[in-house]
Amino acid sequence: MANNVLTRAFDNDWIGPALVSVFAIAIISFFQPSFLTPFNIFVLLSAIAVNMLVALGQLVIIGVGQMNLALGSIGGLVAISFGAMMELWGFPPVVAIVCGLLIGAAAGMASGFVIAGTGISAFIITLAGLQIFKGINLGITEAQPFYGIPQGVKDFGNLSLIGPIPWLVVPTIIASIAVWYLFARLRIGRYIVAIGGNRNAAELSGINVNATVIWAHAISGLLAAAAGMMLVARLQLGHPTIGDDWLISSFAAPVIGGAILAGGHVSVPGTFFGVVIIAIITQALVVFAIDPFVVQIVLGGLILWAVGINRLREVRVSKLLGQKA
Amino acid sequence: MTAALLVSQVSKSFPGVRALDDVSLTLSVGSIHALLGENGAGKSTLIKIITGIHKPDKGEVLVNGTVVHLANPRQAGAAGIGVVHQERNLIPRFSIAENIMLERLGQHDLSVINYDHMHAEAAKWLKLLDLDVDCRMPVSRLSVAQMQLVEIGKALSLQSRVLLLDEPTASLTENESKVLFRVLRKLADDGVALCFVTHKLEEIFEICETVTVLRDGRNACESQPLKGLVRADVVKMMIGRAERISQRAPRPKPDAAPYLELQGYASAAGHSKISLAVRPGEILGLYGLVGAGRSELAKGILGMTRRTAGEVLVAGQPTNIGSAADALHRHGIGYVSEDRKQEGLILLHSVLGNVGITVWRKIAASFGFLRDQTVIDHTSPVLRQLEVKTPSIHQIMGNLSGGNQQKVSVAKWIAADVKLLIIDEPSVGIDIKTKAYLHDLIHELAAQGTAVLLITSDMPEMLDVADRIVVMAGFEVRGEVENDRNYERVSRVIMGYIHERKAA
Amino acid sequence: MTPSDTTNTSDAMPVAADRQSLMQRLAFSSEFGLVLLIALAVVIFASTLPGFTSPFSLFTIGRQIGIDTMIGLAMMAVIVTGGLDLSVGAIGVCSAMAFGWMMESAGIPLYLGIPLAVLFGAGLGLLNGAVVVRSGVHSFIITLASMSIFFGIMIFLSQAQAFRAMPPEVLGFGKMRFGGLVSALLVFSIVVCAVLSALYRFTSLGRQMLAAGANPRAAEISGVRTGRVFIACHMLTGALAAIAGLMITARTGAAVPSMAGHLGQDWLLPAFLAPVLGGTLLSGGRVAVFGTFLGAALVNIITSGLLLMRVGEFWIQAFLGLMLLAAVLTDRARHKLLQRQGMI
Repeated sequence: MANNVLTRAFDNDWIGPALVSVFAIAIISFFQPSFLTPFNIFVLLSAIAVNMLVALGQLVIIGVGQMNLALGSIGGLVAISFGAMMELWGFPPVVAIVCGLLIGAAAGMASGFVIAGTGISAFIITLAGLQIFKGINLGITEAQPFYGIPQGVKDFGNLSLIGPIPWLVVPTIIASIAVWYLFARLRIGRYIVAIGGNRNAAELSGINVNATVIWAHAISGLLAAAAGMMLVARLQLGHPTIGDDWLISSFAAPVIGGAILAGGHVSVPGTFFGVVIIAIITQALVVFAIDPFVVQIVLGGLILWAVGINRLREVRVSKLLGQKA
Repeated sequence: MTAALLVSQVSKSFPGVRALDDVSLTLSVGSIHALLGENGAGKSTLIKIITGIHKPDKGEVLVNGTVVHLANPRQAGAAGIGVVHQERNLIPRFSIAENIMLERLGQHDLSVINYDHMHAEAAKWLKLLDLDVDCRMPVSRLSVAQMQLVEIGKALSLQSRVLLLDEPTASLTENESKVLFRVLRKLADDGVALCFVTHKLEEIFEICETVTVLRDGRNACESQPLKGLVRADVVKMMIGRAERISQRAPRPKPDAAPYLELQGYASAAGHSKISLAVRPGEILGLYGLVGAGRSELAKGILGMTRRTAGEVLVAGQPTNIGSAADALHRHGIGYVSEDRKQEGLILLHSVLGNVGITVWRKIAASFGFLRDQTVIDHTSPVLRQLEVKTPSIHQIMGNLSGGNQQKVSVAKWIAADVKLLIIDEPSVGIDIKTKAYLHDLIHELAAQGTAVLLITSDMPEMLDVADRIVVMAGFEVRGEVENDRNYERVSRVIMGYIHERKAA
Repeated sequence: MTPSDTTNTSDAMPVAADRQSLMQRLAFSSEFGLVLLIALAVVIFASTLPGFTSPFSLFTIGRQIGIDTMIGLAMMAVIVTGGLDLSVGAIGVCSAMAFGWMMESAGIPLYLGIPLAVLFGAGLGLLNGAVVVRSGVHSFIITLASMSIFFGIMIFLSQAQAFRAMPPEVLGFGKMRFGGLVSALLVFSIVVCAVLSALYRFTSLGRQMLAAGANPRAAEISGVRTGRVFIACHMLTGALAAIAGLMITARTGAAVPSMAGHLGQDWLLPAFLAPVLGGTLLSGGRVAVFGTFLGAALVNIITSGLLLMRVGEFWIQAFLGLMLLAAVLTDRARHKLLQRQGMI
């Protein structure tokens, strides 16, 4: 029985990152009480809201055992399309949002289609996708941002819902619950993880692997699109460089949250705390006036650390199993 | 009564190999059938045909008297044929219930999974299988035996009336096997037709009613009742009589000190108390059925698995071989793998790139500089000696026939001038002429003073080539016999060693 | 005809079979196709675009080909193992910045600084390789992390400031041209191609790299220390990335932190495009050194042509992505062909 509790604790992905988050907040606010001012909390939550969507977009693809390098460029493409639709064509925000989501899903689906159809590694296909989507983005904008963002959209990105809680968290909460539900309750979500866990077995069980892979990429594109548009709201302009710096953090958060890169295991709460840890560290560097580029070093270190921990945990679990057998 | 599954005169060829030749098999309702045969006898090809992975060139498969054409594993499943493969086909992090019900999680992609219904369904199967665990537990927490039962449950839940089990007991303890057998018996009594593939002969006498033995792609016997047969009969069918009684006279016994000696060797792979010695100029056979731990022992000698106890002596000196590179470059030990494609050769590269790999380091000039011509000069005598047939030394390895590939995988070690050569199943997938040639070659090598450790499950081959035979079973050495080329006597002694129950 | 038939009959007529396979090999070789495509592109652009053949245009195209070749070779050296290195750009920039610091701040002589910078790159590659081999984790995630770490440390130390005080020889080398049109950087990259070809063809280490990449288990059993060999591949990647960084420094006359974009990501596309176009197998074990050069050449010739045709610079980026897609599809087709012939 004790064994069982132990394995369960090891299996639980989010407790570790959650404890680290709480611990980090406690330490930082002890040395720098201003860390927990309403304004700082607002900034922190806004960053978490956007980055969580980015991380979820990668999480879906990690679940199926692949990777999506084009996540940022899809987000960027949707961000400028969103700006263009409102500034140039005068689309009402709601219509523009729907179109933006569709563009993101279609772009993701296109990658998924090529990957499933050719069997070429997702890495190289999404690298090509990255370049293509980025090229279209720059070709349209000629590297100039769209400034004509309606006030309502700007407000959504910068006003608070209650107290220090920004409006931006609303779509993130909805998306997080939706992705959690997808992986926990919906057939397609279970199939995604099944393929990541044991592709051969999934195929033998009659799961349509190709269709599922395409769906996963479409969902990933959808989430990237949402993140891109939220950044437009937050920055108050449709900047062509949106998404350029998503790559590292999109992998870091799920991996810190215990996702196995080979696929077959994802954790939405774990990913959430992964995002929180990254946001706290980034924010702390600002608060302590440390060079913001240190974030890069810390992020890289966190990935290595998390990969190491995840591996260790696998070894520990299999050892416990070994004792039982 | 019509057979639940009838395989009728099936033939299947692959480029250069006839894998199955007119093979038949009958599974009847409510009985457990054993499918036996040594490696390369055609068992796996037959299973692949029954499960729709391969299409037969000739012959038919009938389920309940109706001809079925199985184009893929899905169709085999739909025809009521369930399989439990040797490799685990479960999603490790999924619950037992979800694994069993994976095909039926919902009608369409956006279906919401009804976990209560799923658990109730799965629990029924677990109960049938006497598996007393919570079906919400992830399968990664189960023992191998329990996973096996889950896979059986999964196959049964798809209304399978025919169930193929490919070496289900390979990684089970004796007690776990007993539990499995009880379940299988119960299933058979419920009207399932079972086909059981194994290398453990004791087991078939324990639970099977009929047996089919394959040898060299043919039926050595077809769906024969096991009643009235004894173990020796089955073994005889599996390994066959000597095609030719060896003409070779016993060779003079070398009296040099052993080149390699294992004393009480044990390894992380599971070997224990292995003691053997092989002298320069001697051919030591290592006989055992598949799964006896012979190839694993070879890799242990190469330092690829950790030694946990005992001593390894090379030329009388206790040594610790840390890697295959150590084994080759320091001690002159080479290994011809049974798995030519994965471990023996680099099919993507040329003949030259393969035959020279063992000597590059040795023959390179300063700064590792090495011209093709240097490699050719060093290796072409060996290639000529072995009569490797290739249009050019630059030919891609994958284009050569099996026999020539095997010659190259031996040639690279001869080129490296090894002092001890371990040869694992030298005649898998090669023609008879090359096989005879390889046997002569092994003798020639020994005559030149090389110590040879020959691993084979092919009894006639063993008797033709080896001077002395060490018998292994269950990762242990069971005994040793001098090969006087008296087929009856030596094979009887060997079989005696293999089947002698461990005095517990 | 099955493969084994070929070999059995070929016994009687070894010469004919050899010639057939040579013809086959030539027809299927990516180099041959690339030369044709390059010739076609040059003819079309030269006859329709007046500025295309001007000495300066040829000089700049050649210079860029030289740099892209080096970036491609850097990635090729690790693709050999069946892995990849996302941090090539970061290593390139870090090495260039280290070189800049040695020139401007440390006062190290030029001809000592160059080898030190290359060694520095190899050292970063060594870190990657050691972690990948020791941990057994795929090189993707390890180099993703190291890319962030290397780049972050570099920016932190340099405060994102460029080193512009270079010895005049540096810029001089970047501007040097032979016969008024051939860039020294192009010539240099061809020399490096020749050296690498020699490595893979004429040295024990190079052969071991290819063998270990094609089939690590077989290579290991045959006495190749695959772990060490893989680390050597990563070191070679690091050294070549450093050289590419130095070549860009020579072109611009300064070591600039942003020369490979954020985290060095801008190198990723040329790094994969050239070797894949050139016929390097992504699954490892087969390289195409001059193919990589030809791949880089084709890409840059087409890019320059399109630029002269006033296709927007940004659309060309999208076009390069499509080209990578086309290249991997060809790679896949070739792989299938090899498989059918039983070589894999």
